[in-house]
Amino acid sequence: MDLSPHQPQDDTILQSDCDGQPEDDDFSESKEFTEHISQMMFVSGETGEPSPETTTLIEQIVQQQVQEMLRECTALATRRGSRSISTDDLMMLIRHDKAKVSRLRHFLQWKDVRKNLKDQEDSGKGGGAEVPDLGGDDIPGVGATGQGESAKKVSKRAKVDLPWDVQSYYGEQVPARDDEEDEEEEEMNYATLQRLKMADERTKDMTREEYVHWSDCRQASFTFRKGKRFREWAGFGIITESKPNDDIIDILGFLTFEIVQTLTEEALKVKNAEDLYKKETGGAESQTRKRKREGGLFDPPEEAREPVQPSHVREAYRRLQQSSNKSKAMSAFSRAMPRKALKFVSRRKTLNV
Amino acid sequence: MSTTATHRTSSRQSSYGAARRYDQFLHATTVRTPNITDDAFVGNTMGNNGGEGGDAIGEEDPRYTEFKENFARSEARLAALFDPRRSVQAPSRPDDDKREAGAEVTMMDASQPTIAPPRKAARTIDEDDYGDDDDDEDDDLGTASPLQSKGAGAARIVNGTTPQGLLVPSLPKRPSNDRRSTASSTEQLKSPGDMRKKLEEDKKAAEEAARKSFHTLFYTLESDRDAMLEQQKLDDLDRQVESEMLGQPTSNTSAAAVAGPQQGTLSSANLGASSLTLKHLIARIDAKRHMVNASDAQLRNLMSEVRKNRSKWASEDKVNQEELYESCEKVLMELKAMTEHAAPFLQRVNKREAPDYYNVIKHPMDIGTMLKKLKQLQYKSKKEFVDDLNLIWANCLKYNVDPQHFLRKKALYMRKETEKLVPLIPELVVRDRAEVEAEERRMQNGDLEGVEDSDDEEPIMASRGRKAPAKKGKKPPSTARKAPGARLEGTPGTESKPQLPSIRGSTSTLSNEFFRADSDAPMEGSQNGLATPPPGTLTPLGRHGIFSSGAHGSQADVSEVDGTGDSVSGVTTSQAEDLDLDDIEFRTWKQVTKKDRATVAAERNRLFRNNRLNAEEPALLRTKAGMRRWLRQRNQATDESKAEGQAPAKDGREGVQSTRGETLAEGIEKEEERNLPDYYDPLSAIPDLDDRLKWVEDADRQVIYQAEEFLRMIPKGQFTAPESSLTRKMDANMRQMQETRKVCAKIGIVKQMQLQSQMYQNQFQKYDPQPFREADVEPLVVSDDGPVMSQWVCRGALQRSVGKIFYHAGFEEFQPSALDAITDIAGSFFKNLVQTLGVYSDTPKIKAEQTTAIGEKAALKPRFTAEEAILHSLHENGVDLEALESYVKDDVDRLGSKLTVMHDRMRSHLAELLRPALNTDAGADGVGAFNDGSEQFVGGDFAEDIDEDFFGFKELGLDKEFGLASLSVPFHLLQNRMHNAYRAQNTSATETSGVIFEPPPPYEPVTVENISSQIGLVQPFFLRKLHANGDLPLIEDEELPPKQRFPRPRLPPSGKITSPRKRPQKELQQMAKKKRKLDDGTAKDDSATPNVGKLKPIGKLRLEMPQKEGSQPEPEKDDGSAVGMISPESISAAA
Repeated sequence: MDLSPHQPQDDTILQSDCDGQPEDDDFSESKEFTEHISQMMFVSGETGEPSPETTTLIEQIVQQQVQEMLRECTALATRRGSRSISTDDLMMLIRHDKAKVSRLRHFLQWKDVRKNLKDQEDSGKGGGAEVPDLGGDDIPGVGATGQGESAKKVSKRAKVDLPWDVQSYYGEQVPARDDEEDEEEEEMNYATLQRLKMADERTKDMTREEYVHWSDCRQASFTFRKGKRFREWAGFGIITESKPNDDIIDILGFLTFEIVQTLTEEALKVKNAEDLYKKETGGAESQTRKRKREGGLFDPPEEAREPVQPSHVREAYRRLQQSSNKSKAMSAFSRAMPRKALKFVSRRKTLNV
Repeated sequence: MSTTATHRTSSRQSSYGAARRYDQFLHATTVRTPNITDDAFVGNTMGNNGGEGGDAIGEEDPRYTEFKENFARSEARLAALFDPRRSVQAPSRPDDDKREAGAEVTMMDASQPTIAPPRKAARTIDEDDYGDDDDDEDDDLGTASPLQSKGAGAARIVNGTTPQGLLVPSLPKRPSNDRRSTASSTEQLKSPGDMRKKLEEDKKAAEEAARKSFHTLFYTLESDRDAMLEQQKLDDLDRQVESEMLGQPTSNTSAAAVAGPQQGTLSSANLGASSLTLKHLIARIDAKRHMVNASDAQLRNLMSEVRKNRSKWASEDKVNQEELYESCEKVLMELKAMTEHAAPFLQRVNKREAPDYYNVIKHPMDIGTMLKKLKQLQYKSKKEFVDDLNLIWANCLKYNVDPQHFLRKKALYMRKETEKLVPLIPELVVRDRAEVEAEERRMQNGDLEGVEDSDDEEPIMASRGRKAPAKKGKKPPSTARKAPGARLEGTPGTESKPQLPSIRGSTSTLSNEFFRADSDAPMEGSQNGLATPPPGTLTPLGRHGIFSSGAHGSQADVSEVDGTGDSVSGVTTSQAEDLDLDDIEFRTWKQVTKKDRATVAAERNRLFRNNRLNAEEPALLRTKAGMRRWLRQRNQATDESKAEGQAPAKDGREGVQSTRGETLAEGIEKEEERNLPDYYDPLSAIPDLDDRLKWVEDADRQVIYQAEEFLRMIPKGQFTAPESSLTRKMDANMRQMQETRKVCAKIGIVKQMQLQSQMYQNQFQKYDPQPFREADVEPLVVSDDGPVMSQWVCRGALQRSVGKIFYHAGFEEFQPSALDAITDIAGSFFKNLVQTLGVYSDTPKIKAEQTTAIGEKAALKPRFTAEEAILHSLHENGVDLEALESYVKDDVDRLGSKLTVMHDRMRSHLAELLRPALNTDAGADGVGAFNDGSEQFVGGDFAEDIDEDFFGFKELGLDKEFGLASLSVPFHLLQNRMHNAYRAQNTSATETSGVIFEPPPPYEPVTVENISSQIGLVQPFFLRKLHANGDLPLIEDEELPPKQRFPRPRLPPSGKITSPRKRPQKELQQMAKKKRKLDDGTAKDDSATPNVGKLKPIGKLRLEMPQKEGSQPEPEKDDGSAVGMISPESISAAA
């Protein structure tokens, strides 16, 4: 509804999705993802126009990651004795990334709140028309802080409890008290602040139009309003049951956005390091060319000139895939080869600092 | 002259194996010999001695005196110890191993004086002009000679040259030779003697050299097994020979028994003649018989006492037999002992192994047979013996024609060895003493030369041919095989000569000789019976007779020996096969130590059975002798460098033993000398005794128990988690959890009480968790340092820690298998961690950065410091400090705060549950909580009136927990009884407040009167009902008394309401319908459309559908209306 006007396709998709009549065009769909990916990359700091190769590569990576996640989730669910995966399984996969978990919980809470609110409003007066829209907005990565304030007053938000949390230690479930402040939220807040700061950095020099474009791009999502397409893409029905929970789709949407962002940031770092290296060592040979190019009046701004190349993405992916010694610890002093499991892309500790 | 002769003959027994260090001493005695005999004989002796002359060293000889002192000192001690040995000494001596000789010399010393007295007594009898000589001789025999009484002279001759005691060159010592031999014969005799000497010396030198190097080289044990097997073979052979010999004994023993007296009579009859040793003494005594103041019997007793030490070969009536057989046996043993090569020749060739052997070889021979023959005294001369020996090798070479045959090699080797050894056998011919004596007598009597010659030749012939005894014609066979015959012959001899049996008893030491020589005995007896020479004429006769025959025989033998030697060597050289595979040292080692090694290996072998340790075997114990030997060898080894330059008398084993033999065990046990290095006897190596193991007694004779000093207690806390802030925090968390669980349990009870209608006292077990307490192990004492290597206890401790972590992670209880699995994983993880740490700390050292000086060795430092090593190994195992810290921060600290919050929540929840009045609508002061109509309980003392803990609150501790002053129970807790009332009140309250519309008035009951107002359709139905009800008004179901009410129909998942009470009716209808349908189906079979026919097969499947759907419809539904569009069957049924 409030999608940017320069994405006319989105509207049609939205229409079709709302109608529940899928009329997916493969070409447009794949183009859709690349489009979104480049938007996400833009949000993550890539100023140039990435090549289709790059976006395709990223899409493949994301797809692989999502499928692996689903596979793991299914295994976990099977171990639990359930045939369908739940949000807890997904949370379990990313449990070590406390900020992410906390943010997801936060999101799920507010989603619940909104749903309740909507129900109430549906039954009562239909006041909060904008609330469901914000639900979609929240997924890709920006918390809906503004609307939360009002919603909080309306209904008590239900806490999303994780099965490995303290409350599950005890046999009795106790209603939460309002005055408790979760410590994880502090961590989430810290991460949010970091994220917002980064976003602020990126948008600080933007013109109004650019900012509008940027905020439009923030809406980009793998899942929002193209659930069916995403489900096919992620292998629902093949890897796991075909009718996933709505929450799961939302979580996956969030996670895919995170993956793209992390990859892009890492790739940018690689690229910067490469540029720096080239400048230091290879400066002599490319001196002439550079000098020629230097000072061009009509040159495009420097960032826009060289987008992230697939090689950078690959290097970033390699870096993110580096496994710690922990996975090898038990096979030390034995002939067993450590199992090389696919690692889920997550921000490394060093990135956060 | 005669004294010398006596002396000479008594030296028949040489000092076998006198140790080299005694050469010097023996030499001294040798030197003294001419001093005693101071006549022409000196030259001869000196010639044999290699010109070793010199006079009158006498009593002043320092070594002599030294020996005397030594002897005197050791005499008292050893005499007692070796008492039993005195009697067996002489017979066993020739058999003694050459290596034992050295040790035995001392014993000889000890035994010497005991022998001396009777001799002296004998001497005192004849106080004559020979006094000087006799005295000297007495001195010589009694004190100067360290050897046996009979061996002194021989020792002089052979001094030091026959340390091995292999052979005694007794030939020159024979009285006849000594006295009568011409220069030429002396020369003749000298050459083999020298040769022998030389050979002996060479061998001795080689062995000494080899033995010296024994402890410088380490010999592997690999040849031991061979040695053992070979030794076993040898033993088998010995046993076999023995048994074959014993086969006859069954007959022979009787022969011996019969022969014994004969021998006794013989020796008593001509005591002098029979006693070879004392021949000359007796001769002298006889010569001076008139001066001796003793009866014959006394003399005989004395003689028999003196004559003690005889070899087993010694025979009263065979001249030279002892010497020859001694040496032959030695040679045979020597050859036999070369087991490496001698093994194939030990026994007869088995016909199974070589079927055609006896076709090729007509005269088989082997060492075993030779031994047998030897024991049966079948050899009459050296030549026979040597011929047989050579026959063995020749047979082998003859049969195994292939030059590459391995047996050839062995045979050649053996022949070479034989060649070496044969010269050591003296050229002797065994002759009957009677014969010799007869010769002598004849000689003395001046008989014709022809007779003498003819008599001479007989024995020579006899010595060459094996049928010699038969040839003599006096006895058909003299071999042992003909023993029965001999016995028959001998028996009359006994009868004819039953003289002086008393002697027999005194010559008990000879009994075994009798036994061995039994085959000869009867013959002797008969011979002696024929000719009993007068004692007086004995000596001169013997001289002549022995001289001539001996000279003759020796000449012939020498030439023959030379001849065979030449031929043998010729063959050997022509064959020119390489026989020496090992170097000389190793070979010597093998030969010298073979027997001992074999013994050791056999002992070792006994310990195993089927490659398992044999539990039946006696335990291995160290022996005193072994320890003494070890000590001595060690001392020897340590002193060797020092002792190098010392006097030769001090050198060697004996010196060591005498000077350092301070050990208590010395002389207590029989010394079994072995030539093996220490490592063959690990048991006897003496480790240093731990001081703490000493047996110490205090003043009160109480043993001081010293164990306390080295036992130690395991320090406390070895198996508990060390106290630290982390463990304190974790423990606090766990306590918190337990507290929270308590609250939780109470909440659960309260909730249950709300739901349940009936409550039992014991329904709720009080949740009362025990605090965690880590128990340490019992006080434990260990004797060593270091950690306690107790696998299961350590595992248990780890398991407990894991269990604590489990609990800390929120698991109240867990499967043992899970605990086990995690413990195993943790164990292997820690193992890896420690192993990595080991790898890092074991990395090679590197040079330190700053080296102080150039000349100095660069200081090394470890590659990693301890910290680095730990960090590296942590990293390698996927643990870093951040992870550990975050664990402590997140999973312990933060968990603690979370738990506290949780606890608070639980408590407040419980409080809410218990006092909902205080909750929300109770108002600030809680007055509103009593607005629920429980005013009658405000006093709350009904429970106290009952005077019991009605709800078990006291038991649960709720009263204390919440400070309940009394047990007055808020009303809402009494739901189980008051629920309905409470609910009713509440609902009415809400109804009154919340219900806007009035409930409709209840319907009028249907009666007969107002039935007409109902619609026509249901009128018959109602009429029927009314009829059944007896025309009384119908009552609505809701208004029935509860017991008569129909149960409310439950809503099935399908959402369709079914009524159980109608089911039977329905089913009946269904059944009827089905029947009807079946009838229809059969009736319409032919008229049915193909479509219906097609459907028939799956009719079974579908049949269930209508049944279900038929049972599901609402009870009100009529059958006809329900038919509808459900299934084709029902359609067809309707149609």
